[in-house]
Amino acid sequence: MENIYIEGSHTNFFVPTVEFNAETGVCVLSGESFLEDTIEFYDPLVQWLEEYTSEIKKPMTFEIKLTYFNTSTSRSILDLLNILKEYEDDGGEIIVNWHYDEDDIDMEEDIEDYMLDTGLEINMIPFDEDEF
Amino acid sequence: MQSQSLFTRMTGKNVLMSFTGPFDTEVLSIFGKNIENSISQNKKLNKTIFKVFIELAQNVSYYSLEKEMTKKGEKAGVGTFIIQDFNDYYYFVLGNPIDERHEAILRDKCSRINSYDRDGLRAYKRELRKLPPGERGTGNIGLVQAALVSRNPLDYTFIEINDSQSFYIVAVKINKD
Repeated sequence: MENIYIEGSHTNFFVPTVEFNAETGVCVLSGESFLEDTIEFYDPLVQWLEEYTSEIKKPMTFEIKLTYFNTSTSRSILDLLNILKEYEDDGGEIIVNWHYDEDDIDMEEDIEDYMLDTGLEINMIPFDEDEF
Repeated sequence: MQSQSLFTRMTGKNVLMSFTGPFDTEVLSIFGKNIENSISQNKKLNKTIFKVFIELAQNVSYYSLEKEMTKKGEKAGVGTFIIQDFNDYYYFVLGNPIDERHEAILRDKCSRINSYDRDGLRAYKRELRKLPPGERGTGNIGLVQAALVSRNPLDYTFIEINDSQSFYIVAVKINKD
């Protein structure tokens, strides 16, 4: 199974950095997400997670370090987290860490709401933006 | 369009930025970038205005009754947005023509959003997010997000254009403090 690496950019649209590693099981989604075509971008990530959780089945650590995402992206994030929850329910080992700016109350609420929606335990890890 | 010029006259004070035309992806991204970089010296405040802009402008792009084909061959909704600068707040105003039959639905949505406290808004956003994209009503998630991010109610009005069309205006205050 191939790894995914997408280098993020902040130009007219905001492409998040994606590092999904099939050998280590560590997946990182960071930066900002506001895309011209959200579904086109996230579909391969959804497929990758589906393949990993059905074929590789090793422990996973999912790290989210997004500082901004629009509501269109928020649907795709929900899809990713739902796959992780299904994996956990099927006996998969999964740790989800979500790093967020300690001053960003909107983001803090978003993470809490994702936990409510998915039933997945997400470790909320605040950081100081100036030191990030 | 008569209602648009009326709209511009009504809101023509303290204007920092304005645009009338198709809200295609290029327009969204260029204005988004300007808002993010140049509205004020306060980066976090700019980001809040940016978040409101992105959510509401996408609604114009999808739902405006008036569509224009862009150079890239996309069909984008036509509308107007204005950002005004007042002492204590920025005011983000956005308008587009709608089918008169959708006025009641939109009025209900805006009124529903304004009736909720923050927890209610969060629950409503979660409810809308679970619907598949493109399903009726899902576009209003942007309105909910604008209310959540700005921490202010939506101001909205409808101006009759003719028997079959209205001009829908939605505005949000973004406090400077």
